[in-house]
Amino acid sequence: MRTTSTRARRAAAAAGVTVAALALAACAGGDSGLGPGTEESSAPPTEECPCEIRFSWWGSDSRHTATQAIIDAFEAENPDITVVPDFTDWGGYWDKLATSVAAADAPDVITQEERYISDYASRGVLADLSGLDIDTSTIDESILAAGQTADGQFGIPTGVNAYAVVVDPQIFSEAGVELPDDETWTWDDYVEIANEISAKAPEGVYGTQDYGFNEAGLNVIARQRGESLYTEDGELGVSAETVADFFQVSLDLQAGGGEPDAARTMEVQDAGPEGSLLGTNTGAMGIWWSNQLGALTKASGRELQLLRLPGESDGERTGMYLKPAMFYSVSATSEYPQASAKFVDYLLNSPEAAKIMLTDRGLPANTEIREGILGDLDAPNTLVADFMAEIAGDVVDSPPVPPNGSGDVAEITERLNTEVLFQRLTPDQAAEQFLTEVEAAIG
Amino acid sequence: MSTTDIPRRAGVPARRERRRSRAVSRGDGRAAALFLAPWFAGLILITAGPMVASLYLSFTDYDLLTPPEWIGPENYTRMFADPRFLNALQVTFTYVLVSVPIQLALSLALALVLDKGLRALPFYRSVYYLPSLLGGSVAVAILWRQVFGADGLLNQFLAVFGIEGQGWVSHPDYALGTLVVLNVWTFGSPMVIFLAGLRQIPQMYYEAASIDGAGRVRKFVTITIPLLSPIVFFNLVLQIIGSFQSFTQAYVVSGGTGGPADSTMFYTLYLYLKGFGSLDMGYASAMAWFLLLIIGGMTAVNFLASKYWVFYDD
Amino acid sequence: MTELTTATRLPDDGTRLRARLAQAAGGLPEPSARQRRARRRAAVTGLFRHILLIAFGLIMLYPLLWMLASSLKPSELIFREPGLIPTEIDLSNYTDGWNALVNPFSTYLLNSALVVLGSVIGNLVACSMAAYAFARLEFRGRNLWFAIMLMSIMLPIHVVIVPQYVLFSELQWINTFLPLIVPKFLATDAFFIFLMVQFFRGIPKELDEAARLDGCGHVAIYLRIMLPLALPALATTAIFTFIWTWNDFFSQLIFLTRPDMYTVPVALAAFRDSTGETSWGSLFAMSIVSLIPVFLVFLFGQKYLVKGIATTGIK
Repeated sequence: MRTTSTRARRAAAAAGVTVAALALAACAGGDSGLGPGTEESSAPPTEECPCEIRFSWWGSDSRHTATQAIIDAFEAENPDITVVPDFTDWGGYWDKLATSVAAADAPDVITQEERYISDYASRGVLADLSGLDIDTSTIDESILAAGQTADGQFGIPTGVNAYAVVVDPQIFSEAGVELPDDETWTWDDYVEIANEISAKAPEGVYGTQDYGFNEAGLNVIARQRGESLYTEDGELGVSAETVADFFQVSLDLQAGGGEPDAARTMEVQDAGPEGSLLGTNTGAMGIWWSNQLGALTKASGRELQLLRLPGESDGERTGMYLKPAMFYSVSATSEYPQASAKFVDYLLNSPEAAKIMLTDRGLPANTEIREGILGDLDAPNTLVADFMAEIAGDVVDSPPVPPNGSGDVAEITERLNTEVLFQRLTPDQAAEQFLTEVEAAIG
Repeated sequence: MSTTDIPRRAGVPARRERRRSRAVSRGDGRAAALFLAPWFAGLILITAGPMVASLYLSFTDYDLLTPPEWIGPENYTRMFADPRFLNALQVTFTYVLVSVPIQLALSLALALVLDKGLRALPFYRSVYYLPSLLGGSVAVAILWRQVFGADGLLNQFLAVFGIEGQGWVSHPDYALGTLVVLNVWTFGSPMVIFLAGLRQIPQMYYEAASIDGAGRVRKFVTITIPLLSPIVFFNLVLQIIGSFQSFTQAYVVSGGTGGPADSTMFYTLYLYLKGFGSLDMGYASAMAWFLLLIIGGMTAVNFLASKYWVFYDD
Repeated sequence: MTELTTATRLPDDGTRLRARLAQAAGGLPEPSARQRRARRRAAVTGLFRHILLIAFGLIMLYPLLWMLASSLKPSELIFREPGLIPTEIDLSNYTDGWNALVNPFSTYLLNSALVVLGSVIGNLVACSMAAYAFARLEFRGRNLWFAIMLMSIMLPIHVVIVPQYVLFSELQWINTFLPLIVPKFLATDAFFIFLMVQFFRGIPKELDEAARLDGCGHVAIYLRIMLPLALPALATTAIFTFIWTWNDFFSQLIFLTRPDMYTVPVALAAFRDSTGETSWGSLFAMSIVSLIPVFLVFLFGQKYLVKGIATTGIK
């Protein structure tokens, strides 16, 4: 299965661990190592196909089935290229990817996410895609920039999502509370409305679900204040005051009854979209990524709607942004970079692929392709597409690529928010600790 | 059970001593080499290499994506200044000290009940083993919320008595407790080993004791306990080793975070999150080797103590 | 140990004779009445025990029953109506789940079965051999080797998996079942070696000594005495290897990279996406399906657990 040229390249790449190499030398013939190569500079001039490339992604069964259909369509058009699927769930995906990279056995086409792309790109695992034949002309510059670092274009966004408020109008009307005007509402309005709904709705139905477990909310609030979670040069760009205010919102909601008590909040948080307050018809609002509207709608059995985040009009600037759902990347050590590029190009630009994938990897970043699938979307995703078109004009810019180590920030945010909810830390203490821990993580 | 073999046993001790000393002097080196050959090959080819590699990595800065860099014992000194590591250590020790004795006692008690004397025992045994079959299935996380959640089964039960419960599984003060219960709930494996051990006790001992007029309690104390002691010992050692390395249940129930607020952050879970989540495999390897020292120490103590209470028939 | 010898001190022939005589004298009216009362008492306590065992069993089973119930509900009702009794029965989770992934679920069941079969055979052969050496043979450094063996299960898999991957990748074993099966044939599962050592040591040593006097070598003792008499230990090993391999997620996830080689746990994980939508209905349905083989193995396998010396007898 593996050809000699791979072996040769891996041998060249193996800077390796001496001890491990020694221990394994008997059976490995010496070309082993615990570090992948980074030296591979230029793609081989001629690529011999028929060839086989491996494409790895995470997700659940609907994505696996759709992607397999796309692969089949691609192979029908390119009979000399075989694409081997390699899929798993989110958690297992990163373990498997890190392990295979460590053993110089990375997949050829790698799905990436903004929290990790910098880690992989800066360590030479990913190829600079600008040198490969992938058409990105129809992708918005600011969205494309989300996959760029100073050293090159290491990922191309598959599609975009927006962080937004999802509401259940039925609970609003049953509680006799009017839907807010999302062009003008503030974070104070948000807390007030949530508290009001909890008070007026039947026992066990709440105004909203806690938002403090996701650092994306912090980033939006920071941007509304003219700050940013991370700066262009990969530093922390948010003030202690902003972080404390971010945590304070949860406490205000808890005190006013707008969200469940701490233990119940934790429980709901762990239950995903299906077990969320919105999903179980026990909450009027929740802050989610727009691509989760489908799952929420299905679970709730109701017609949910999207609203802009609060505070967009009364801050220094708007804070909402379009986040790449994920990135397509190509391994720097791929034996077939050209075939891999061809496949990525197909994923991005082929109308057939788009028709199969629809918005499963976010609303397509390719504007022409996006137009082409609008008619095929189901109700929730049509809503998402309309919503994105509506806010697009207000989005100022994309946040910079999160720096190395930002994968830990999700965990830090989640843990500190828990400490605040259970009142083991005040928002000010949590903010201090947040800054210290994040600086250590990305430093 | 023929009776002819009994007299042979009766006179054994003295003869056994004599024969043992002869066996020692002769030695079974060649036979041992034959029987241990597969294990030895596995040790050299599969086990030792990765172990040595991880020991080496524990002295390096290794992010998995680039080659490791030697940094000396820094990972080891770093551990003791890491409050989350110390917390994980404390959580793990608490868990081991509480859950191992409870699980062993319960599984032994049920093994005795399910050993014999009732109809439909195979069925009960299978039913009691079922929870252990679930393993680390993600379904367990959902199930556990159904039982220990704010609106869970436990609180519904408490409400009958007018007690207002709370969300147990997601409260930092109680989450670890629910994991102990989860561990006890899957007592099937030690129970099965106890059952097998009970069945290996030669029936003739009981028959002889019955004829001697020994009651059930006396038979239990003088026959079952000593003859089962190697199995009790095995379960104790392996449960301690296994509990120190507990990972799956906390990983599944807390959604991989060790939360709420690190209250279920087991040692191995923290090590995993550092190694694969933070791409700090050098640090993770150092933690793993420190854990090996702890477990190894506990196991050594166990083996030393076993001389005083474990009875071998050889 | 002293207690043991007193308790099992063997009855002289006089005692046994008296017991026999007492038995022979049975059938008189008085003992028969006593026997009947005893039998009735036994029936009552038996019933009582059954009730307790069933009650306890229900507590043990509740979560599983919930999972079964959920697998029969339409997916979107699982969390909205979390009760035990489904309001509507819907088998589509089973049909959908079976075909939801790239290959039909039977592919994953078959792959798991192959891995499990190899692992069970490997563990039975290799671990029992090693255990025989540790339990019965005298050789230099025995305690040291035993300690090394135990040490090998004290290191968490997460720090050895990367070096292991490098090793298996060099052997071109990635995406085959070899990294999952071959180690079992090389007795890397120290748990089972230790287990069998404990059981072998429980087998009276006079038996193999008698066999040796009859001219048997170690191989014959191992094959003809130890293995048959340690049947419960072998059954335990087989059953546990089956269940643990069937449920093992991490190493199967890492070493198998093509969907047509995926095993059941890896496939089950692929139903879930914590960042998006999870097909809980299909996940529960296929979890139930994958529980059936292990449950059956346990149900029928346990017959051999209870066939100890007690039933095979020592001749």
